[in-house]
Amino acid sequence: MHLETRHWIFAGLFLLVGLTLVSGITLDLPVSPDTQRMYDFIEELPEGSVLLVSFDHEASSLPEIQPITLALLRHGFEHKLCLVGLALMAEGTAIGYRLMCETAEEFDAEYGTDYVFLGFRPQYIAAILSMGESIKATFPEDYLSRPYDSLALLRPLGNYSDVVGVLSIADGSFTTHWVEYGGRYELKVLAGVTAAMVTTYDPYLASGQMQAMVSGLRGAAEYETLINRGGGGARGMLAQTSAHLYVILLVILGNVSYFLKRRRTN
Amino acid sequence: MNFCYIIATVTNDPGWFDIERLPTLIAAVVAIAIVLYTTYHRSSREKFKVREIPALKAVEEAIGRATEMARPLLYTPGWGGDIQRPTTIASLNMLAHVAEKTARYDCRLVFPTHDPVIMSVAQEVVKEAYVRAGYPDRFRQEDISYVSSSQFAYAAGVDGMISRLKPASIFLLGTFEAESLILAETGNSIGAIQIAGTDSTIQLSFFIVACDYTLIGEELFAASGYLSGDRSILASVRAQDILKVVIMLILMVATVWSTVTFISNGSTEGWWTF
Amino acid sequence: MDRRIAVVICFAFGLVMFAQYFSAHPLAHSVNQTVADYWQIIFAFALIVGVVGFLNNNFQQVRKGQDRPFRLLSLAGFVIMPVLAMIWGIKAGTPFLWVFENIQVPLQSTVFALLAFFVASASFRGFRARSVPAAILLSAALIILISRSFATGPLSEWLPDVAEWIRNNPSMAARRAILIGIGLGSLTTSLRVILGIERTWLGGGK
Repeated sequence: MHLETRHWIFAGLFLLVGLTLVSGITLDLPVSPDTQRMYDFIEELPEGSVLLVSFDHEASSLPEIQPITLALLRHGFEHKLCLVGLALMAEGTAIGYRLMCETAEEFDAEYGTDYVFLGFRPQYIAAILSMGESIKATFPEDYLSRPYDSLALLRPLGNYSDVVGVLSIADGSFTTHWVEYGGRYELKVLAGVTAAMVTTYDPYLASGQMQAMVSGLRGAAEYETLINRGGGGARGMLAQTSAHLYVILLVILGNVSYFLKRRRTN
Repeated sequence: MNFCYIIATVTNDPGWFDIERLPTLIAAVVAIAIVLYTTYHRSSREKFKVREIPALKAVEEAIGRATEMARPLLYTPGWGGDIQRPTTIASLNMLAHVAEKTARYDCRLVFPTHDPVIMSVAQEVVKEAYVRAGYPDRFRQEDISYVSSSQFAYAAGVDGMISRLKPASIFLLGTFEAESLILAETGNSIGAIQIAGTDSTIQLSFFIVACDYTLIGEELFAASGYLSGDRSILASVRAQDILKVVIMLILMVATVWSTVTFISNGSTEGWWTF
Repeated sequence: MDRRIAVVICFAFGLVMFAQYFSAHPLAHSVNQTVADYWQIIFAFALIVGVVGFLNNNFQQVRKGQDRPFRLLSLAGFVIMPVLAMIWGIKAGTPFLWVFENIQVPLQSTVFALLAFFVASASFRGFRARSVPAAILLSAALIILISRSFATGPLSEWLPDVAEWIRNNPSMAARRAILIGIGLGSLTTSLRVILGIERTWLGGGK
């Protein structure tokens, strides 16, 4: 097999990330204003407020999404918020249900009164618009096939006016649909997103169409610092930092070789 | 049941017009009026020059290259869009043009997608383009296929196709998300000429690095008009430009006005906040 | 003729949905709700098209002997997952969920992880300071990259602020301009669809 430069680059990255993950070293991080804003938003909510948590992601991004989700759910349960989970992507359903149940167990939260999982609805735009009119009509029963009205937490919920906002956990541009279509009903939108999506959401955050955002492993690690609990965010930061430095090194090497080649050609 | 509910609710509330949405209505009416004017008014439909877009000039070259090398051409609209998304429609418009050319040159066109509806529409678009070109027998329905609705299953599927079929040219036009760089880098590794275009701002940066030509945002919408010379599409390109000038003027007036207001009385409120 | 009916339906619904947006009346809301309900029902039927296309395509390729192992594996997955779901359901602790969490999740995460490798190779190959603007772009990228990592010492004092400034000013301005352009492009394309000028979504033709 003929090995090209890119194969060596791949091997270097693989070794670097593997070794740093195995080392188990965690880093202390300063908290960024974005993450602090999310923390403050949740802190300022009165106890018992109902927050929708939408799992708008696929299984692929779980290593990055899970630490963010766990940190936010832990804060929500600790602050005694009532969480109503749902999924607009099929693959987020099972993951969302598992993460909610596991976190709820840590805080002795009870299904039906402290949290509920509604399950999945296809056609996200239709689902978001439909919930703006009636959550019950969109989800007549929960993920466990229990009727909507049989759950104490759901009974008083009519539409978006009965919730304090939605927390969209996304690995793609799904949160923009919450902003665009949920925004019609003045729904407040919070987001926990993968690092790659940060710049997509910056304009919405700056314009006030989105209230707060936690992004990437770094955001998760910062949030873990704020709520004083360890987690996957802090554990993965060394690997991510090393990968970033590796990319910087590659960019420098690439430029050095480019300038050397150019000089030789001249 | 639903219709009974509709009739029953008519009598309940008098709020026929939501006054808070008046600014949006005014903006929408102005925009619609400009689009209708440029589309239907005769003087507005006279020919005008569209600036050269390098990526579109390269379309011919990409098709020619695939034909010369006797390798297929791969065209995919990305994972992020569905048929109601304008970007997908713009991409299918481009597909019609590309398909007509591949039919003429007898070059194999492979179109994998993540959406069953896009697949059906694309089959029709390509079939019609082949008929238009006069070679309906060259149309291969199985080459326009549905891969998977799951993002990375789609990415893996298309990646596999690129690795096995080794297309000479790859068109990545539509709404892309995290799969963009995976596809573009795989295409680059096999030495394909790549033309990309998307409305996802974040993926544009990946395409610019990994592809030979990139259509930035709205250029994708102008592309089909540029290639086909279709007057109705070109008219809407002109409408976009007029609207852009209107927006720029409003932004400039609002910026100056709000700055002056802020300096004179310290207020940030005014007609520009709604 | 059949296409004309579709265009008329599209025009009527486009008009109704446009009008309902500007109304606070319960009728507008129920129209919105009804359309959203039907939208979901129609989507379920559209999936059948995909399933038929997927099966058809894979069987054809298997018969022709093209990429046979991959095709057979796809077909096996297509059969196994629904069977598991129908027999044991899809809730926690079922074989369906086991396959999902232990096969599908790692496979998908692996493909997603490829992105990191491709970012590394693309940065090495493509990120060159060929001109002054390219050098400025490169410097901005490096600052953002370091700021998203763990910067210590004097760097951690000012680097996040500089990165924040880059994100919130030049970068944001450029993205907003692109977004406005895309928004206008979407607007005109949508209007062409509603007015029946644009018929590509019907499979092309006039």
